[in-house]
Amino acid sequence: MVTRWIDLRSDTVTKPTEAMRTAMAKAEVDDDVLTFDPTGLRLEEEMIRITGKEAALFVPSGTMGNLISVLTHCDVRGSEVILGHNSHIHIYENGGISTIGGVHPRTVINNKDGTMDINLIEAAIRDPAFEICYPTTKLICLENSHCNAGGRCISVEYIDKVGELAKKHGLKLHIDGARIFNASTALGVPVDRLVQAADSVSICLSKGLGAPVGSMIVGSKSFIAKAKILRKTLGGGMRQIGVLCAAALVALQDNVGKLEDDHKKAKTLAEGLDSINGLRVDVASVETNIVYLDILESSNMTAPKLCKALERHGILVMEDKPYRVRLVLHHQISTTDVHFTLSCIQQAVDAASDQNAASP
Amino acid sequence: MVTKKVDLRSDTVTKPTEAMRAAMAIAEVDDDVLNFDPTARRLETEMAMITGKEAALFVPSGTMGNLISVLVHCDVRGSEVILGHDSHIAVYENGGISTIGGVHPRTVTNNKDGTMDIESIEAAIRNKNFEICYPTTRLICLENSHANSGGRCLSVEYTDMVGVLARNYGLKLHIDGARLFNASTALGVPVHRLVQAADSVSVCLSKGLGAPIGSVIVGSKSFIAKAKILRKTLGGGMRQSGVLCAAALVALQENVQKIEGDHKKARTLAEGLNNIKGLKVDLDAVETNIVFFDILEEANITAQKLCNILEEHDILLMQDKPKRLRIVLHHQISASDVQFTLSCIQKAVNGVSHGNGLA
Repeated sequence: MVTRWIDLRSDTVTKPTEAMRTAMAKAEVDDDVLTFDPTGLRLEEEMIRITGKEAALFVPSGTMGNLISVLTHCDVRGSEVILGHNSHIHIYENGGISTIGGVHPRTVINNKDGTMDINLIEAAIRDPAFEICYPTTKLICLENSHCNAGGRCISVEYIDKVGELAKKHGLKLHIDGARIFNASTALGVPVDRLVQAADSVSICLSKGLGAPVGSMIVGSKSFIAKAKILRKTLGGGMRQIGVLCAAALVALQDNVGKLEDDHKKAKTLAEGLDSINGLRVDVASVETNIVYLDILESSNMTAPKLCKALERHGILVMEDKPYRVRLVLHHQISTTDVHFTLSCIQQAVDAASDQNAASP
Repeated sequence: MVTKKVDLRSDTVTKPTEAMRAAMAIAEVDDDVLNFDPTARRLETEMAMITGKEAALFVPSGTMGNLISVLVHCDVRGSEVILGHDSHIAVYENGGISTIGGVHPRTVTNNKDGTMDIESIEAAIRNKNFEICYPTTRLICLENSHANSGGRCLSVEYTDMVGVLARNYGLKLHIDGARLFNASTALGVPVHRLVQAADSVSVCLSKGLGAPIGSVIVGSKSFIAKAKILRKTLGGGMRQSGVLCAAALVALQENVQKIEGDHKKARTLAEGLNNIKGLKVDLDAVETNIVFFDILEEANITAQKLCNILEEHDILLMQDKPKRLRIVLHHQISASDVQFTLSCIQKAVNGVSHGNGLA
């Protein structure tokens, strides 16, 4: 019997919808390296329109989107990039900007809300007077929504301020906008306004928007022209990409409008979890589709135990730390799923505390 | 009215067939990064079996296949790789093994048939006594079939000999097998035997096999485990990749046997072109699906002009040099396309000659 999994590990687990599969099957395609793929071009044009940038480029992953962006802005050897100590680029991208790109990272503490203090960013910018022993700062990276902060949103005012700082020091600004549509929805700010101050943005189509594969980089024409070559160099020059871009176009059309619901479900889940004895959620920090759950000492429960208990009910969540679990909502999780998850978690926690009570 | 183009620029232009599109639409998928995509796994298992290697990894392109392979074999800083001066890796991959991977290339002259003299390869291996100023040779790369020599095939005997040399010196052997199935078909040697001596192979699915996207790297389990991490690092970790792997599985099932037909068409085309006054084809060099042809002085037409004229007939060729063109056959080119192409080229070449005011 095929059981349906309730997969809350990430929004990357989203499977292509019927509409996407149909679009993929009949996509108009061509060799995007030798010439251009027409469906790829349509997707690029749509992303240009949405983000207000001059040009766009389809890439196989968000990791490549960020890698290309950092390396293109930092194309001179001896470059340094300022980014959050808890940013996705710094933590989860294999250190590729350095190991592959030769770029040096300078981390600045991320606050709980995903921002970095402006004065700390400024202090991290290298003084050219000491260039004999300093790398040259070329780029600042922000992340919106901020993954490790629990999907928190960076405001347009803050981004604009960082943009000004960057411009003042002759630096570029890149936004890791893997979940930019979530941020835009939660903040009620259109995407193009949100990223106005950025020189480049990397946006995932395969997360909450639900496409099977891919991300888009957007930026100026000259930036994207260089990015295109680097994409080929890294091995991301794919041929008949229309089969993937067709699904992405459906994602943009059908699923941006569903993000608000994902956020509502996340809130419902967060509030429900927080009211369970032995668990705690910082409900105020749940701004988009990500929920971090802390397991308290008193519960006699651990993250691995909870994950296992949930797996028996067909629910998958991600262990973040020994006493911390992450849940990510997406459009293929229903409200019923949310309530079922809450009740299974309640059950598991109750069982653990009963054990606790039972032991002498 | 939609005109059908006769696209002979490359076998990369192959579009997904109905069967592929149907397979993509119903593909069973999952997050291949968090977990594994079941269709990707099926493809990787199939490729490991076909090539006789322990494991396989799906990647977005042949360039990434080669890049990952070279970088994994040469993971220690200060490494050098020996490869042909006219190899695809050395010429058409943006120098990525160096600019991205920090690996130093040592090129050895490719012969007209795509091989490199064994003694020349051996002479290129760095002497450890001079390590104070030498990088360390770690890898030899071969290419089969060899693109720039016109799709010529490296024999299994030659490949084995290079393998022995590599082993004698403690080096690894990687084969850029973008068109490996073409080589296997032309030589009549099963793929797994052909690459037996290799530690790793990169095989394209998006060329003559016709899948829309992708290549597969094959090698030992430990090699592929490292390759998987490097793939992620380079940004090639795709999520529901099954949608692409489904098409690739169809390609393996349906299009390997069509390759022989492509070779026959290439032969027909080559002989036909060679018969046209003013053109020359090295027929001995036409072993698979690639045909290079030269425009002789007497023809009084440039490669560019010829391409332009053919384009008016919806035939697309690739200019290689001012007086040299390349044609690549694939399963979406019919025998009548070949005849049509020949007659258009004939007219274009002879037409211009006549216009030259011959008495």
